[in-house]
Amino acid sequence: MTEEYISLAHGNGGRLTRELIDKVFVQYGQHPLLDTVNDAATMSLPNQTICMTTDSFTVQPLEFPGGNVGSLAVHGTVNDLSVSGATPLYLSTSFIIEEGVSMACLIRVVKAMAEAAHKANVSIVTGDTKVVPKGQGGGIYINTAGIGLKKTHTQFDIKRLSAGDHIVISGPIGDHGVAVLLARDEFGLDSQLISDSASVYPFVEAIDTIDGVKFLRDPTRGGIAMAMHEMAQATNLSIRLNEAAIPLSGQVESVCNMLGFDPYYLACEGRVVAVVAPEVSEEVVRRWQACTHGQNAAIIGEVLPCQEQYHCPVSLVTHIGGERLLDELEDDPLPRIC
Amino acid sequence: MRRQSVETLIAGLDAMHPERPFRVMNVCGGHERTITQAGLRSLLDKHIELIPGPGCPVCICPEEDIAQAIHLALNEQVILLSFGDMLRVPVFSHTDGPRSLLAARGQGADVRPVASPLDAVAIARANVTQQVVFFAAGFETTMAPVAAMVAEGVPDNLTVLLSGRLTWPAVAMLLSNDEQAFDALIAPGHVATIMGSDEWAFVAEQHGLPTAIAGFHGESMLAALQCLLQQRSDNRAQLVNCYPEVVKPQGNTQAQQLLREVMAVSAANWRGIGVVEGSGFTLRPEFANANARVRFSELTDQSSFTPLAPPAEARCADVVLGRLYPDQCPLFGNECTPRHPIGPCMVSDEGACRIWMSSGMRSVDESKSTPEGV
Ligand code: SF4
Ligand code: SF4
Repeated sequence: MTEEYISLAHGNGGRLTRELIDKVFVQYGQHPLLDTVNDAATMSLPNQTICMTTDSFTVQPLEFPGGNVGSLAVHGTVNDLSVSGATPLYLSTSFIIEEGVSMACLIRVVKAMAEAAHKANVSIVTGDTKVVPKGQGGGIYINTAGIGLKKTHTQFDIKRLSAGDHIVISGPIGDHGVAVLLARDEFGLDSQLISDSASVYPFVEAIDTIDGVKFLRDPTRGGIAMAMHEMAQATNLSIRLNEAAIPLSGQVESVCNMLGFDPYYLACEGRVVAVVAPEVSEEVVRRWQACTHGQNAAIIGEVLPCQEQYHCPVSLVTHIGGERLLDELEDDPLPRIC
Repeated sequence: MRRQSVETLIAGLDAMHPERPFRVMNVCGGHERTITQAGLRSLLDKHIELIPGPGCPVCICPEEDIAQAIHLALNEQVILLSFGDMLRVPVFSHTDGPRSLLAARGQGADVRPVASPLDAVAIARANVTQQVVFFAAGFETTMAPVAAMVAEGVPDNLTVLLSGRLTWPAVAMLLSNDEQAFDALIAPGHVATIMGSDEWAFVAEQHGLPTAIAGFHGESMLAALQCLLQQRSDNRAQLVNCYPEVVKPQGNTQAQQLLREVMAVSAANWRGIGVVEGSGFTLRPEFANANARVRFSELTDQSSFTPLAPPAEARCADVVLGRLYPDQCPLFGNECTPRHPIGPCMVSDEGACRIWMSSGMRSVDESKSTPEGV
């Protein structure tokens, strides 16, 4: 069989488009609710509060150890819903494919997407595809939107943060960022590193009945440093992280040393950070450590009253006991990773 | 090293608290990065000053060399390869042309970042109909693999635009110009790996300054500092190798042999510093076939190149010479940021301004109260 590639005609709304939908999206992305005939999906929502979110995924390269743009597009949206205290239910997906992408690659992406959705217990209910001329897109871009059901018992609210709260993380940082970086093959470095891309819903579910859990965040683009910044800025509090406590794999550490990156700015796609009352932080760690991929969960820092003497609200106590600031990302040393 | 020993080290440093300023210069961007990222300054007595010196090959690469590279890149036949850091370094010149390699690329030049001489050879092999020029700027550490590549024989279409420097002559010059510039030296660990620690003995022997070779971890830097302070309180000055796992007195003699075979040493210009005797690597005449300045003699003719003065407020020269801390430059974090670098020190990963910016140190006033402030 000759290799098949995406052509502009696959996006013209004609026969090839129909074939693409049937042969790829229906066959490999199959889900009973995926309605490929009608222009809108119909589904029923319980009479409750819902959460909705949307995100676009432009990762380069499209495939990396531990996932591809398809699985990432599911995890990203599922995770945004999860950390908002919702149970993710339905996703929509929209593909922008560059002319020339191989059919085999597209199929791998769609398959990974279906698999990720299945694992995360969400249904992809509607989708769209456009093809853009060669040179006008980075292979495959995917947008996903998601709807989730707000849980009645969660009280995640950034306004609840106060000085003394602890910061807890569910696993090592930077695996996704470094895995993608190395997959670009620009550095001539080999590694066994695998992206952490995954649904964080199980982590959320494990702790969402604990009253002292105040706020959750998935530290994606900008890493834990930027996640801390967003929280500090929204609350006018300061946050101090403890370098020695932050879980970091030896591989990520050595790549960072070699390439001069700060791991605190590297993206995770399957980790979650919780801000919790100090009395419950040990309990959160215990429960997370019992989750799959949670064995390295740890308390990594604390919330402080606003430290006015510093120009930046996020600081790091280093391995040797020094202190430095983790300022907002000024520069963009990294390729796109989400 | 264990936490315990870090505490012991710091306690040891505290116990030796100096009564007058003790200025320790580092000559290696990697060391400045370690110091800043470990928050080392926040731990030290205020009399111990850690001064970043001329430790970045990108920062000190003279503008005329970058201008040559830009000029070559603009030639249609040429693919120009450079270490990534160099792409955004601005030159100030009278030409209307692009002012950085990146800007040249924006105008259609084929400029590609590479990580090693191996990449250069691979690209040359893959593009036999084009001329590939490898703009190789760096210190001894970078020059050793370049020498190995040239010695092995490069593809016909590959030439090297060499901008290599030896580090010790610049330090020697700083010392002879101005004996008061610093009180002790942390010598560059990677350079010493190649060239040997003995190369740095002159700082102690001829100038009476305590010298230590350090590794690239916070603990290792603390140990080096303690060694320097101890020397001072004992009124001694000698070279101590605090990185013996990696650095040997004689260095890597094989690499040195290759360097000698392929490259000669001559006076060379350092951006911000000026001409330093015996500090530049040039390709020996036997390797003229691999020398971009020979093959493209018209394109690289720089007799008419006169750099414009950089903006008056830019204090890059003072920063490179260790006379000012980065945050004492009025442009630091204001007009000059990693996104919009005005001077070279804001571009390179080993440039002091860039390191300070990316470790959370911002404007002059604010940084006075940052934990890392000076
Ligand atoms: S090459 Fe190594 S020794 Fe030289 S300045 Fe860079 S980090 Fe320091
Ligand atoms: S802040 Fe910019 S202009 Fe000032 S010394 Fe640093 S690089 Fe030069």
